[in-house]
Amino acid sequence: MPSPRFPIPQGTLDMLILQILSLEPAHGYGIAQRLEQISRSVVQVNQGSLYPALHRLQQKGWLRAEWKQSETGREAKFYSLTHAGRRQLAVEKDSWARLSGAVNLIFEKGSR
Amino acid sequence: MIQLFNWFRRGSLERGLDCELQYHFDRRVSDLTESGIPDLEARRRVAVELGLARVREEVRDVWLTRWLRDFLYDLRFSARSFFRSPGFTAATLISLALGIGATTAIYSLVDQVILHALPIQDPARLVLVDWNGDQATGGFGSWNLMSYPICRDLQRQTRFFDGVLCRAEIQVNLSAGGDPKPVAAEIVSGSYFAVLGIAPALGRVIEERDDAAPGDGPVVVLSSDFWQAEFGSAADIVGRKLLINHHPMTVVGVAAAAFHGVDVGAIPAFWIPASMYAEAIPGAEEDLLRRPTFWMQILARLRPDLTPAQAQAGLQPWFKAWLQDNMLRPGFPIITADRRGRYLASTLELTSAPQGHSPLRRSLSQPLWLLFAATGVLLGLACLNVAGLFLARGSTLGREIGTRLALGASRSRIGRQLLSDSVLLALAGGVLGVATAPLAIRTLIAFLPHDLAASALRETLSVRLLAFAFFASVVAGLLSGLAPALRAGGGSLVSSLRERAGTGFGGVRLRKCIVTLQLAFTVVLVIGAALFIRTLAGLLAKGPGFETSGILSFAVAPVQSGYSRADAARFVRRLHEEVRALPATLNSAAARWAFLTGGSWNNATTIQTDRRIVTGNVNLNAVSPGFFSTLGIRILAGRDFDTHDSRPAGEAGHRSAIVNEAFVKRYLAGRDPLGIHIGEGSGPEVKPDVVIVGVCAGFNYRGLRDDSEQAFFPMFEGEDAGATFYIKIRGAPEQAIPSIRRIVHQADPRLPILWFRTLDDQVNRSLTTERLLAGLSGSFGALALLLSLIGLYGVMSFVVTRRTREIGIRLALGATGASAIRLVLHDAITMIAGGIAIALPCVAALGKLVQSQLFGVTATDPATAGAAALVLVAGALAAALIPAWRASNVSPMDALRLE
Repeated sequence: MPSPRFPIPQGTLDMLILQILSLEPAHGYGIAQRLEQISRSVVQVNQGSLYPALHRLQQKGWLRAEWKQSETGREAKFYSLTHAGRRQLAVEKDSWARLSGAVNLIFEKGSR
Repeated sequence: MIQLFNWFRRGSLERGLDCELQYHFDRRVSDLTESGIPDLEARRRVAVELGLARVREEVRDVWLTRWLRDFLYDLRFSARSFFRSPGFTAATLISLALGIGATTAIYSLVDQVILHALPIQDPARLVLVDWNGDQATGGFGSWNLMSYPICRDLQRQTRFFDGVLCRAEIQVNLSAGGDPKPVAAEIVSGSYFAVLGIAPALGRVIEERDDAAPGDGPVVVLSSDFWQAEFGSAADIVGRKLLINHHPMTVVGVAAAAFHGVDVGAIPAFWIPASMYAEAIPGAEEDLLRRPTFWMQILARLRPDLTPAQAQAGLQPWFKAWLQDNMLRPGFPIITADRRGRYLASTLELTSAPQGHSPLRRSLSQPLWLLFAATGVLLGLACLNVAGLFLARGSTLGREIGTRLALGASRSRIGRQLLSDSVLLALAGGVLGVATAPLAIRTLIAFLPHDLAASALRETLSVRLLAFAFFASVVAGLLSGLAPALRAGGGSLVSSLRERAGTGFGGVRLRKCIVTLQLAFTVVLVIGAALFIRTLAGLLAKGPGFETSGILSFAVAPVQSGYSRADAARFVRRLHEEVRALPATLNSAAARWAFLTGGSWNNATTIQTDRRIVTGNVNLNAVSPGFFSTLGIRILAGRDFDTHDSRPAGEAGHRSAIVNEAFVKRYLAGRDPLGIHIGEGSGPEVKPDVVIVGVCAGFNYRGLRDDSEQAFFPMFEGEDAGATFYIKIRGAPEQAIPSIRRIVHQADPRLPILWFRTLDDQVNRSLTTERLLAGLSGSFGALALLLSLIGLYGVMSFVVTRRTREIGIRLALGATGASAIRLVLHDAITMIAGGIAIALPCVAALGKLVQSQLFGVTATDPATAGAAALVLVAGALAAALIPAWRASNVSPMDALRLE
């Protein structure tokens, strides 16, 4: 039986991480949980691929990280959005909207 | 950049990642156990989910791109392993440093002398305009000579040229307040600076108006170098008056600092307009600006859309007509119909000259390319040596590599590791080589001939040179790393693990090939060295054909200090008398032209016997009575000049002449030369009114290789611009210098002495190129020999170690020590014979390239080749004998116990 959840499309993981962090700073596990909740039963995120993505985004200067006490009282690495990150999120949202709009348009016209 | 930064803080990055992942892991596990999954199962599931090892790797890739990370790890690994084996490291580093240092040093000279374009505007469009054919008219100067009128006429050919300049190097007597002294200068057309696009650093440059008519421009522009050296970069230099050849001239400017003239071998002190030729070249009495005399080089700036070949073709019709017009010019000689035909068939030749015109380049480019090729071979040899060393190391690393392969390392990964080893070593060797190169270049430059003019050659390392050294070292690294790396790629894994330490295969066959090649390279270099050393030794042993020991020479040029020719002749005569009277003087003579300087006064002569014979160019000179006896040149027939031979000052023409053996042999074979009349020149107007009164033995006039027909006329005849004195001194020649200086100073305090040299020194100076070739090729040959003998020794001792067991068994079964030696030497002899067999055809093929640099020996001289081969065989056998002897002393018990 094929999995009801399909793997997350290439390149969208970065956008999703930026979106989640635009609400509030979070640590890696928190982001993973949030991804699970939001996309429950729709997309499947490999938990392992989260960390390379986080480090890549941090190296690009879109995220900043600091060690803080988490809700369990242990030290955890919290990521938050930088200004550049916010700008990048806007850019990606915009291009996503245009892409999905275009795809929708093709589907509607094609079915008529 | 950030990535490289990450490399240095990778420790803290790793720790951070560990904490981060641990936190995720623990939270996930506790979440799962809360939902009722047992702890152990939860841990297993999370571990699978996360894939910790892969996540870590992927995050590291984010930090630092994988190949770069691997490369840095490789470098670190290489550096560590090098520090563990300092002997190996030192041997390879020194090999490479020598190879790269020598190549870099020679390349520096090649670059500066041959390749470097002039620091002028758009040098690529500069062409040298030269005459191809019979010029009919005489001239003076070095090479590519043209006349001033041609330059003027070419300037009107604007269809082809954006500008045309002419220039000549001259030597003048300068006095700027202090004692007068001779300096080198450049006499140039008014277009010179405009065509080259050189701006003044101070004041102005020479302009067209300075060169409008004779005497128009009593001005000079100083070179920046001379301004610094002579005037301490004085800011108020413009407007200062200098005395040049006793004529006042005004400094109008200083040329841009980077510009050293169009000759790389000589920086002129200043530039002077051609309109001042009469003052700048006091010997020239004719009107050089209008007469067709050849004395300047012409450089032109091509129009941007033309190639030299197009312009050359386009110019020929114009030049044909020009040749006709030129014959009507005043001063054009009367020539025979035959010669006129050759003159009219002349063409103009345009060659690209972004590097300007340089006699130094002309004489040095072939030797320099030869030496460059030799250093290339040397570098190749050093690479082979390093490759051999790497292979040797590879064989001891064999087990380690085998283990790594067994643990799953890819062959390409290990190959890359080995390559990074060699690249690291080569770069380190390159740095060492570059560090030693300036010293080597300075030594080389000291080898080169240097006269009055400061040399523009520098030991500084240009960007080009650094790029070259970098390139050379990387290539060296890749080449020397390639063989071992390829070997790591092949070979059976199991067999390398099965081998016992120290008995590995070690690529013996490959190493033998390498040593054979090394020996071949060495034979080539040693034969080359032997040829050049024999050439130098041959020339030195032969000598110039006259006595040189104990003879001092010095020169004066009174016309450069304002003397008329008649006064100059009287002055020289007086000086001659006084020098003769010195107590230290054994014998003394004077000549109009100096010997062994490369130049000469030459012209055709006409011989009148029962018919007129016009000779080819004969080297001429005027000498005082006693010249031949002073220099120990035998008079074979007739007599030396005496005081009656010289005509009174003011009366032109010669009465008597002495010719050399070669002259008689070539033109007067079978006749009695004494009493035959000759005349200077070739035209029908020449009157053969000079009687041959003597025949002298042959000796060298221009240089030690010169073997020419010569004719001598008496001196002191009222047409001497100056003289070179040759004085045989009692005791050491240098002792007499102060008293001669005093005599000259008393005769005229303002007159500078152009040079003081012993004749031995003069002979040495005329052999600079030969000395350079012999010295450098000799040291290259010795280095090559050393490198390849080390290589041979290395591989032979390796073979002996590897075959210790076999030899031990043979000895145990009754073989003698001698047979063990034979066994080992057999290998060595195969390699030596192979090397020689490869080298000899190469020498035969390369022989043509060096033949012109040789003297008294042919490039394929069997004795030289044999001697070189013998040296190699002796050295190689000695190197091989040590391991062989060790083999013969193997104790069978020890050898078997080695198991």
